[in-house]
Amino acid sequence: MNAFALWAVALAAAVLVEAFVPDRAAYHAGWYSVALAALIVLLFLRTREVTRNADRVRRAALYAIAFGACVFGFAGIANGLLAPDPRTLVGAPGQQLALGDLGGTIAFPALDVAEPLVLLRLGRAPLSIGPRRYVGSFDLRTVRRTVVRVDAYDANGAHLTITQPAGSAFLSPVLLMRTTQRISGLDLPFDSFALPAAHRLVKVVLFTAQQVAAMRGIPGPAEPALLFAVDDETDQPLPHSIRFARSDEIVSDAGVRLRASVLDYPAVEVIAAPSLPALVVGAALMLVGLAMLLYSARTPSRS
Amino acid sequence: MRAAAPWLFAVIAIAVVLIVLLPLFRANAPLSAGPAGLAGQRAPVIDLHDDRGAPVSLDRYRGKVVVMNLWASWCPPCRAELPDLQRLWAADSARGLVVVGVDQGESAQRAQSFASSLGVRFPIWIDSEQAYGRAYAALGLPTTVIIDRRGVVARGFDGALTYAQMRTAVAPVLSSP
Repeated sequence: MNAFALWAVALAAAVLVEAFVPDRAAYHAGWYSVALAALIVLLFLRTREVTRNADRVRRAALYAIAFGACVFGFAGIANGLLAPDPRTLVGAPGQQLALGDLGGTIAFPALDVAEPLVLLRLGRAPLSIGPRRYVGSFDLRTVRRTVVRVDAYDANGAHLTITQPAGSAFLSPVLLMRTTQRISGLDLPFDSFALPAAHRLVKVVLFTAQQVAAMRGIPGPAEPALLFAVDDETDQPLPHSIRFARSDEIVSDAGVRLRASVLDYPAVEVIAAPSLPALVVGAALMLVGLAMLLYSARTPSRS
Repeated sequence: MRAAAPWLFAVIAIAVVLIVLLPLFRANAPLSAGPAGLAGQRAPVIDLHDDRGAPVSLDRYRGKVVVMNLWASWCPPCRAELPDLQRLWAADSARGLVVVGVDQGESAQRAQSFASSLGVRFPIWIDSEQAYGRAYAALGLPTTVIIDRRGVVARGFDGALTYAQMRTAVAPVLSSP
């Protein structure tokens, strides 16, 4: 009986950990699923032994507990083997990105308003994600990332359209800085945009305040800074077209004036977790089994 | 009871396995990229100013069919398309059609002078933040979105349309209540 309880509790606990702390890569490793399957087998074998000479109520109670624990186990295995690995969905302000796992889209707020990310699904009310929300079999968490908002002007000061042919949003002045470029041994956030009216391509590298301080040899915090490299529309570098600028500083570079602001902006981490309905069913079965065990312990055996 | 138990447990087992696995095999909603994927959704509304500096909003046109065209002066297909949009507006404005040109990222002065040079008379809005471009999932310029009288996106198009294509796209939306 002790081994039966041990295997059942271990199985349920191993999957509950997945539900409460879902952002661990271990759950998607093969050994974790094998371990859960082994616990199911051990529990099955032990259940056969403990139910052999039990009366009817006690046998049903033990089966219910075993079955509830197995539901936990199957939910954990399904999550480990079939659910996608954790990922971060990064979008531009005002953009809606498909989240196929939940059959909906994530709406990203405007840059200048403190609104949360929202999950939109057909036929359902919009769902504010907030710092963290459990939806279906997924744990959605809002994380903050550094983005760069750029403005560009021609020599006469007229505002220019910014496009990102390789970005997630074509018409966005917000660079999401999703790739990195290695400079002087540092992996630095990197992005690029186009100025079609000026026939220019601009590459942008971001330096954190600490990196700027280290480069200058100045102790203490400094401001984040950006490196602009302006190319022509065929991606050929132009002479004297590399400029270093602080956040919000306007610099003239290869016939255009550029201003970039370093900002915080939300993204959403999408982390698969064991199916919530399955966990509820499993927990209910185990509780019913426990209640029946208690009942059978208080009443004399009639079998 | 003893004979029924294995069957009962088998049925429960199958039910439980289905509960566990079904969410993972749920058919994902097909979400097509670009403005066409917005069809059927409420049209995003972002308040802007027009090329004369007056505040403007899509909400003002509720009850009318809106053809919203995202454009910029540096875009050759936009230049080719704007006169046809002007023709469409002139032909169907009496039937409740509104054409709005939303300049993406340029100054009001540049947008105004460019539109004037092409004889455009319909409203020109200035979207210096390019917010409509992102909200309507523009893949490039021009982008055209048709919004019905209820404020719902009826059609979305990536790239320039001919006048005939505009008429074909607008006709069913104009004729519906």
